[in-house]
Amino acid sequence: MTQPDHIYDVIVVGAGHNGLIAAAYLGKAGRRVLLLEASTHLGGALTTAEVSPDYRASTAAHLLEALPRRIEKDLKLARHGLRYAVRRVQTIALDHDLNHIMLSTRRADIDILRRHSAADAEAYAAYAARMKAYAALLGPMLHGQLPSDDAQSVARRLRRLVWRGERMGPERLEALMRQLPGSIGDWLDNTFETPLLKGALALDAMLGNAVGPYEAGTALTSIGRQSLRGLSGGPHMVEGGLGGFIDALAAAAASFGVVIKAATGVKKILVDHGKVYGVTTHHDETYEAPIILSSAHPRETILNLVGAKHFDAGLVKQVNDIVDTGVTAKLNLSLDGLPTIQGLAPHGYNARFLIAPSLAGLDDAFTAFKHGNFASDIPMEVTIPSVADAPLVPHGQHVMSIVMQYVPYSAEGGWEQHRDRLVDRAIETFSQYAPDLRTRIVAGELMLPPDIERKFGLANGGWYHGDMRMDQMFAFRPTPALARYATPVEGLYLCGAGSHPGGGICGLPGEYAAHAALIRGGRGR
Amino acid sequence: MNDDTDTTISDGPPPFDNEPKAAPSDDTMIAAIDDGPTPEPVGHVDLAAIDAVTQADPALFENENTKPPFSRQVMTTPLHFYVASESLTNLWCHWNGYTVAQCLTSIEDEYAALRQSAALSDISPLVKYRISGPDALPWLRRFVTGNLETLLVDAIIPVVFCEDRGFVVGDGMLFRLGDNEFRLITEETYLAWLLDSTIGYQVHIEDVSTTLAAMSLQGPLSCTILAEAGLSGIENLRPYSAHWFDVAGMPVYVSRSGSSGDLGYELWLDPDDAPSLWLRLLAKGKPFGVKPGGFTLREIARVEAGIPRAGVDYLGVFSAIDPQSVLTPYELGFSALVDLEGAHFTGRDALRAAKAGAPRHILATLAVDWYQPLRFTAIRDASSIVGVVTSSVFSPMLGINLAMATLNPSAIVSGTDLHVEAEMRAELSLQIVKVPARIIAGSALLLPARHLVPAPLGMRP
Repeated sequence: MTQPDHIYDVIVVGAGHNGLIAAAYLGKAGRRVLLLEASTHLGGALTTAEVSPDYRASTAAHLLEALPRRIEKDLKLARHGLRYAVRRVQTIALDHDLNHIMLSTRRADIDILRRHSAADAEAYAAYAARMKAYAALLGPMLHGQLPSDDAQSVARRLRRLVWRGERMGPERLEALMRQLPGSIGDWLDNTFETPLLKGALALDAMLGNAVGPYEAGTALTSIGRQSLRGLSGGPHMVEGGLGGFIDALAAAAASFGVVIKAATGVKKILVDHGKVYGVTTHHDETYEAPIILSSAHPRETILNLVGAKHFDAGLVKQVNDIVDTGVTAKLNLSLDGLPTIQGLAPHGYNARFLIAPSLAGLDDAFTAFKHGNFASDIPMEVTIPSVADAPLVPHGQHVMSIVMQYVPYSAEGGWEQHRDRLVDRAIETFSQYAPDLRTRIVAGELMLPPDIERKFGLANGGWYHGDMRMDQMFAFRPTPALARYATPVEGLYLCGAGSHPGGGICGLPGEYAAHAALIRGGRGR
Repeated sequence: MNDDTDTTISDGPPPFDNEPKAAPSDDTMIAAIDDGPTPEPVGHVDLAAIDAVTQADPALFENENTKPPFSRQVMTTPLHFYVASESLTNLWCHWNGYTVAQCLTSIEDEYAALRQSAALSDISPLVKYRISGPDALPWLRRFVTGNLETLLVDAIIPVVFCEDRGFVVGDGMLFRLGDNEFRLITEETYLAWLLDSTIGYQVHIEDVSTTLAAMSLQGPLSCTILAEAGLSGIENLRPYSAHWFDVAGMPVYVSRSGSSGDLGYELWLDPDDAPSLWLRLLAKGKPFGVKPGGFTLREIARVEAGIPRAGVDYLGVFSAIDPQSVLTPYELGFSALVDLEGAHFTGRDALRAAKAGAPRHILATLAVDWYQPLRFTAIRDASSIVGVVTSSVFSPMLGINLAMATLNPSAIVSGTDLHVEAEMRAELSLQIVKVPARIIAGSALLLPARHLVPAPLGMRP
């Protein structure tokens, strides 16, 4: 007999940001919601922790770049403590010759670009405008709700897309049709001549994706990223690291009556006659609810939490075939002072730095990655969050947060013998721009793709619960039969990044899944 | 028109429209079986004379493989030479890539033996899968549409399996050999689908077709002959069950099953033992009139019994190109094999909807009342073509033509005025006859002995 306090309207499995957002929306709609999280901390890969005693930083992801303002307002996150250390973090491509390029269309920044190439300075504004127009055109498809599953809605959506496309003008539309299936590398080669500018823009587009700059489909990937940024107004740095974002989400969810239980891992989602009715936890407690949303990876949800026997074989095969590729490692460094980045103005230290001197270098790094290796010059995205958010560290100290792109899941002969070399390469790469970095390091932590997998349950250390590539997007995400959050098991919904529109910390899968559950699940008791 | 002029009946096969091509001539048969080296081709191009390839390794031009590219290896069953020695016709056909006898003596003789005594056939080309492992039963429960709760060890049930949209992938017979061991017998190969569907289960699936020989003894005296051959207690074997017997030191797994609509048994054993059992059954059965039978006999019997054959009467969903030509179990007449109320199986949700909706096609057996074999492919009503014939045979016992056809549901409703048009040629005179056809509910020929326990034992003549 289940105790009365173990019965809810909805149970949400997994308190990552999507789980929290789904739970908050359901709570806001008046449902009694229980949110269960296996780990002792909430937020999954969005967490702030100590790099070394007293030095804190975002452990894995470190920027919030795609959270729609709508979600922020709906859930009143500002009231629940969401503060930005830096809004619209500037992006700076670091240059060996100290002419660092700021990726923006401000006149002063364009003038710096002119030192590299007058032609590029001319072309940049047009490129940015074009990218923005493409993002505006494709955005509703890339991250809007999917049309409902009937031919009419799909046709209506496509008609609207064509109409909006035609409004862009035939010349732009033609250019888009030509560029969309192609690679970002070719596109940039045709637009710019400065290697650094091209490298930085390409890295910015592909960070976290296991693709090279010259792979087909990367043009779409970069438009997708651009349109996600459009939702939030650009990458933001959260006060207290991304853990601060999660704390605000948890407070918002709690304010809507969501009961959050950490350290309560779900062992099984219980199904009877094709309907969910509850979950059992690893402590062998049972909680009951007629609706369950899982923010776990679709494969984990279908194969382990529910079990293959409740699904058709073809569906299970498709879910099992979802591709996850880990492509990044994270290095967090505790520093006893601010390293001097040569040629950088003092106000530039709260930016995000991209290190990708050229497309060729990026492509080489990708080739090394494909062969289970890492390049000698590692493409990376670097922030020094303590510049704008001093409370993270003791006075006068700093933390540096480095995302390394093109680091494979497994290295030949095991990671143990390559770890130190990778750290050394990363520090060496950044030291080319900040020669005193090495002397400032107090401590550090390295998270390789297998560490990310182990710690956050992200398969192969991939960020997105299924790589963000064309065959795993839109109505194919995670599989055609599961694309609209509901599953063949009645009352079971998927609300994680594995569902449309996918990963990137946008929270939209959580929001859309909550809506789907509210519509299908009818009114609460 | 008389029998002598009609080449399709007396010694040839009945007119299956999908019948394998005419038997190869003696020469091709020998060439196909003989794997020995062929003489070196003569008249090679002189390599030294070609400037551009002076550096080329001559070994590249050596004719290593004497087989033409993409040629299929002709496979023979473990019983091939013993069957061949019975053949008076030298008529062969292909079944699942194996060379099998089409007809050994004459189809009338073989049919007479089948319905009056017993006919022994080599059914080794059937596809056999061994399914084992701790999750074998749960996996099968999700794999097939039927209810397996009553499937005990040594029992057999017919099964059908679908993909997610509820369309039939294939059908077969499922044997339970042990608690966690099963055998699935099918007409076509489904290994890719079987393996794809094992994700999430601890189950091992193996194609054991080549390591297991099989023969079928069907007919009213089949039990008698087996008893005579030393299978004591065989008469107590119930329909759709199986038992291990020791026959002259050979372990033989005997199941009371078959596709003849009559009393019959299928025997499963080691390929090395198969020839001796074959010879033993022929020898012990000789006084009772047993005859070896070919593939044509099997086709006639299964159409009489109303059993559709995968790949012929319906296409599995993974072999069909046109989505309109795939069928649900309901359309295929397998509704008794679908249990929507039990545990989840692949395609259940889709089949719930399919059951509620109207069928798009219906597979049925039709009787075409004509005293001679006919050739036809269209089933017509007063105005149009309402069905396509996929198998047709002449039933000597019923004296009529039988056809398996996929019909529009409208044909069932209108029902009465179905007919076929057949062209009949006698020398140079051509006659087009319009013959009425009627849908047979169930099977055309089912003999009561198939149910009897103990099975009837005949007297030694």
